[in-house]
Amino acid sequence: MSDMFATMKVSSSGMRVQSERINVIAQNAANADTAPSKPGELPYTRKTISFKNVIDKETGETLVTVNKVNQDTKSSYNQRYMPGHPAADADGYVQMPNVNSLIESMDMKEASKSYEANMGIYTQTRDMVTKTVDLLR
Amino acid sequence: MTTSNISLFQAMNAKMSYLAERQKVISQNVANADTSGYISKDLSKADFSSMLTNVTKNKMHVTMNKSNPLHQFAPDQTPNPKIAKNKSPYEVEPDGNSVILEEQMLKASETQMNYTLMLNLYRSATDMMRTAIGRKS
Repeated sequence: MSDMFATMKVSSSGMRVQSERINVIAQNAANADTAPSKPGELPYTRKTISFKNVIDKETGETLVTVNKVNQDTKSSYNQRYMPGHPAADADGYVQMPNVNSLIESMDMKEASKSYEANMGIYTQTRDMVTKTVDLLR
Repeated sequence: MTTSNISLFQAMNAKMSYLAERQKVISQNVANADTSGYISKDLSKADFSSMLTNVTKNKMHVTMNKSNPLHQFAPDQTPNPKIAKNKSPYEVEPDGNSVILEEQMLKASETQMNYTLMLNLYRSATDMMRTAIGRKS
């Protein structure tokens, strides 16, 4: 029976990290047009998230947690021609965030799919526990 | 006398704890569906045939008690399967993750079906015992 509760704990840790991931994706999507305030400043930089395994000291099970929320400095910023913008450089271009809404929406789909998968395992395990308890009746 | 002394119940108990443990391993895989570098794991197949012969030949077993962790396993004890990394996954993603959600869902439903089977067997076995002791249920 303790295996079952451990299973539910693992699944809920999986759900937690996926919602953390959705949080990061939402931040990216919300800041897709956050321009710098002065020329030469950097605009909003896209954030990325990675996961890792840790051993839960209480139960001895390996749970998933957020490893790091990094900034995506590898992909280049978009240049947009807006001469009237306060952050425009001498040629009239403004550096815009390196957020690609297509990538963000795919990431969001993947995150919610993984969340549902964890939820599926959780529900299934809960059903198994309920049926086992029903033996007492 | 408790049901745990009867070899049939012993066998069913062993199978159920094996299935519960497998469910835990599967839940870990699903929780790590997006952890880079994670290789999916599975529980090695357990051989319950020796326990089954105990049931069919109706042997009464007296096993040695394990009172010290240094003691060896008594030969008739339940098989203890090992958690092993899946050596031939369907595919490995570019980030080194080899969890395929569909494969895991398949395994989870297989586990659940077997578990329900065991529960139903358990129930009918206890019903038979009840009938034998003359209680109507």
